[in-house]
Amino acid sequence: MTERQAGSSDDARLVREMASGSEAALGLLYDRYGDAIFAAAYRLTSDRGVAEEVVQETFLTLWNRAELFDPQAGSLSAWLHTIGRNRAVDRLRAAGRRPQLVALSSSAAPAESETQALERAATAGTVMAGAAPMPGPEEAAAASDLREAIRVAIAAMPEVERTVILLAYQEELSQTEIADRLAWPLGTVKTRTRRALLRLRGALGDELGPSPELDAVPVPTGRDQ
Amino acid sequence: MDHDAALEQLELAALEPGGIDRLIAGDTPTAQAAAGHLAGCPACTDELVRLQRASRLIAAAIREAPPPDLRDRTLARVRALGRPRGTSVNAEGPATVASLAGLRSGEARPVVFAPARWPSGRRVVVGWIAAIAAAVLLCIGTTSFLIGGRVDERLAQQTETIRTLEEVTTATLRVTAQQDARHVVLTGTSNPDLDGTLVFSPSSTELVVVTTGLTAPPAGQEYRCWVEDGGQRQPVGKMFFSDDLAYWIGPAPAISNLSSTARFGVSLVDASGAAVDAAPVLGGSL
Repeated sequence: MTERQAGSSDDARLVREMASGSEAALGLLYDRYGDAIFAAAYRLTSDRGVAEEVVQETFLTLWNRAELFDPQAGSLSAWLHTIGRNRAVDRLRAAGRRPQLVALSSSAAPAESETQALERAATAGTVMAGAAPMPGPEEAAAASDLREAIRVAIAAMPEVERTVILLAYQEELSQTEIADRLAWPLGTVKTRTRRALLRLRGALGDELGPSPELDAVPVPTGRDQ
Repeated sequence: MDHDAALEQLELAALEPGGIDRLIAGDTPTAQAAAGHLAGCPACTDELVRLQRASRLIAAAIREAPPPDLRDRTLARVRALGRPRGTSVNAEGPATVASLAGLRSGEARPVVFAPARWPSGRRVVVGWIAAIAAAVLLCIGTTSFLIGGRVDERLAQQTETIRTLEEVTTATLRVTAQQDARHVVLTGTSNPDLDGTLVFSPSSTELVVVTTGLTAPPAGQEYRCWVEDGGQRQPVGKMFFSDDLAYWIGPAPAISNLSSTARFGVSLVDASGAAVDAAPVLGGSL
């Protein structure tokens, strides 16, 4: 039995347990697929709020319609992504918007090959962007690894640094706006911002980390300014 | 401006919305100085490229990560809005809505919460919906006459039936709202009392099949819907029963790109296997 087959078998078992009323099984399935469903919904809608609703509706549907999942007909990952995609498109249509073009490389779910992602996208009718060069499976996996490394680094960083980095990237606030929001001195925001960025780049490896040709600017590491 | 100062400006700009662009444009005296340094410094220019790529990756990773509390909120929502599940549904003792519906152990029928939209005015789908409505109305009539038990049991039965009808209707409207919705009439291959209707959308890959006249399958067997195209038959799903109504609703990737010769059918098969190669009891073509 391959690793993928074993995973599918395990998914089917969890779905059966969930259908018998096991919230723990639902939680495990969320842990397995929640992030990927969110990421796919966000790529399609560019709206984190909508992506959150799509995730909730997808797992509500999984709970309510567990008996309709047939492991012989396809993987649970593909089934959930199809449900999530339909919910996202429904919401976009309701808002009079069109789905975002999605690059295949960013469409692949974790542990899903490029070919499988393409098949799923084709069956789901996902619109794929053709302009960007398609990375090979190794590159796609590397990109997935990088995303995971970044998430781990964010989770591990001090709360004050995580706060500024999330406000900067998630809410797209300027440093002045962050300073106003948190009532911190602008200099403190800048220091923490640079420190957080340095940590994150460290997680990206040599290729995208700080240039070895430049001596890194010493970022104050003592008491916060 | 030296390396250190330029690098500091680059890092700060990388975390501002459009910050790098503004820095390179040299809109402020500081940005002008940084842009001037960059123009004559290959090392800092290289660092700028690396920083831009890293910033894009970090931004994508952060924006595509769900908030940490989404898991708890999702489970809470399922707990609040999800259908009742657990041992009470399958237990013999007190009658529940699901058990009163005559459902087999562990196979309580699903519920759809997704909102339905009416189809666009250009498509004539009323006939399809009417066909399904006729089937579900027949289901209501059968239910009313067959149940002779206690009033509360009858009410529970009817409640369950109404939920089924709501589900089938909602899903049908959702499918027929798609621009590319297709309709297939199913007829009994040997029993003229069997009929059904099937609607699907290749773009959303959602499919609804409703049949009347089928009786619950014998133990160890089940009815499965399938699609056959290019000589290859693929399973769609197991038919669920609610009184006289047998139905299946859900995503079916196999319908995304069917040829004009595709056929649909429902066959009685061994429940323990995955095969759908038995002769159909209901069939229809595009």
